[in-house]
Amino acid sequence: MKFEFVVDGARRTIALEKKGGLCIVQEGRAVFEAEIRRVSENEFLFLAPGRTAKVYLARDGERRLVSAGGRVFTLTEAGRDPDRFGGGEDGPSKADSSIKAPMPGKVIKVCVAEGERVRKNQSLVIVEAMKMENDLRAAAAGVVTKIHVRAGDIVDAAKTLLELEPET
Amino acid sequence: MFDKILVANRGEIAVRVVRACREMGIASVAVFSDVDRTSLHVQMADEAVPIGPAPAAESYLRMDRILEAARSTGAAAIHPGYGFLAENAAFARLCEAEGIVFIGPGSNALELVGDKVRARQAMVKAGIPIVPGLESVPLTMEEYAAAARGLGYPVIVKASAGGGGKGMRIVREAGELAAAVEAGRREAGSSFGDESVYLEKYIEEPRHVEFQVLADNHGRMVHLFERECSIQRRHQKLVEETPSPALDSALRERMGETAQNVMRAAGYANAGTVEFLLDKDRNFYFLEVNARLQVEHPVTELVTGVDLVRRQILIAAGEPLGLDQADLRQSGHAIECRIYAEDAAKGFLPSPGPILFLKEPRGPGVRLDSGVYAGWRVPIHYDPILAKLIVWAEDRDRACRRMAAALRDYVVLGIHTTIGFLGDVVCHPRFEAGCTDTGFIGRHFEGWQEARGDEETLRLALAAAACDEMDGGGAGEARVPGRSGDGPTPWKTLGGWRLGRRESDEI
Repeated sequence: MKFEFVVDGARRTIALEKKGGLCIVQEGRAVFEAEIRRVSENEFLFLAPGRTAKVYLARDGERRLVSAGGRVFTLTEAGRDPDRFGGGEDGPSKADSSIKAPMPGKVIKVCVAEGERVRKNQSLVIVEAMKMENDLRAAAAGVVTKIHVRAGDIVDAAKTLLELEPET
Repeated sequence: MFDKILVANRGEIAVRVVRACREMGIASVAVFSDVDRTSLHVQMADEAVPIGPAPAAESYLRMDRILEAARSTGAAAIHPGYGFLAENAAFARLCEAEGIVFIGPGSNALELVGDKVRARQAMVKAGIPIVPGLESVPLTMEEYAAAARGLGYPVIVKASAGGGGKGMRIVREAGELAAAVEAGRREAGSSFGDESVYLEKYIEEPRHVEFQVLADNHGRMVHLFERECSIQRRHQKLVEETPSPALDSALRERMGETAQNVMRAAGYANAGTVEFLLDKDRNFYFLEVNARLQVEHPVTELVTGVDLVRRQILIAAGEPLGLDQADLRQSGHAIECRIYAEDAAKGFLPSPGPILFLKEPRGPGVRLDSGVYAGWRVPIHYDPILAKLIVWAEDRDRACRRMAAALRDYVVLGIHTTIGFLGDVVCHPRFEAGCTDTGFIGRHFEGWQEARGDEETLRLALAAAACDEMDGGGAGEARVPGRSGDGPTPWKTLGGWRLGRRESDEI
């Protein structure tokens, strides 16, 4: 059976064939065979000659968070939304004129009004979580077309806070 | 001794205090806000009292509700932990008036050292070296601007009532001052309920070295040596250790003596910490007194063998210190890493949310002070600290390696944490060499991204995800542990896979 995942922005295809108690794992030309036991909801044991390793997995909505070798990988099934934390603290990308909450938190201050012209890098909204203020600034000069939140609102990650029409 | 202690805090530090109470045969009372009903400290305490809605100002900072909780449960003393009301002189005074023992310094000492501006004035009088700065809080922006010009840029905006980096802003030119003061005030107000901020000359790339002091109510005092806390981001500590690689025994002795003089000048009793900046020329300046149990107290405990929380409780109960300076020794080396719910790859963006899976490290010389558990949701309202990982080893090199191994063995799924970042910090050649100053993170870890795992490790992750997909994503049928394997099977490996390597991507 073939599975497609997106990891770190790259698409990976992995094939898994069960053969008796064993599993043949194939990705491109790389192949290995191991016994894979799911010993709990979140724990997989890989048993190979001379070596047993544990891999930890948890589902978070569309994503799978997997810890192997001391590192956490975020795997998304190919074709699904690659990152629900889109937006990031750097503000909107050129193509996206909406300002999104970079993390779950509380709106501390809306610094602009609808219809207001803003300069590049001007503060638009301040969102606070865990006592840290996050100052969301305009990536480019423009006009505030819509404000979706008020000071005091609790917002989820990626919630659209306000919309900006960039100046051309 | 007290029969019952109320712990006016949450998270890992409340857990730490509850543990100390249990060991001493003292009953413990937790307090909790609405979102903390299921928190670990609440589960561990003998009793628990709700004190209001999630925002700290309506719960953990509500002195009236906390005192009422103490009265209604018959607690004889209150341990404030760190943050929240720990350094609030008004709260200490209210406790004193109620006949409830505040486990910390007396309200007068707290008032003096808690007001950074007054503390500086007192220290100048006592002949303690201090960083040049304002002796009062300016009233207008014009006064701030004039004062900053007088000190010379860069200057640092600091909360008068604060600590822990809250309200702090470095200002490099006059144009940035007004915004920094405004932001500092807002953060100081929400963290400490007091908006006053003042200015100090900013010393570039100093080390942050602090001394732990214990003083009883009978005039006896000792110091328990230093902690080096130079690895910081946004003026908040990330890694602490003791002994400091920067001190020799002569400098240690001078600083320890000065720290005790600071505490004497403040009329201080109980556990407290004197913070110094140490510049490149090994000059040290008094920074402030942290009139509380510090987050990083465990490194001192591991190296001196003294249980600081137990000592705090004994001192508050009026017991004599029973420790002599001559008996205190630093044995081995201890390092602490703060595990924050933050995304280090995105500028330490807070990362509240559900902990879906948790595996905590174990092993010789490994201590974990944690306030979380799998299945719990990290709330948005409080400090991002989840836990502290502390290791002890015979020397610094071994402690670094032990910490690196313990961090690799620490798995948190569901939220971002600083675990991976800290792993890279303690393995950095400059850290291993002991070359730490407060500019370390900015200089060596700007734009840090987690290294991509090697291909074989990633393949294991992909295989696990594929198995999960085949199983129907964990939903539906219950799995029996070990079901898929039935005893030993002869099998061969077609390709190799390895775990636990740090090399970069091989393809």
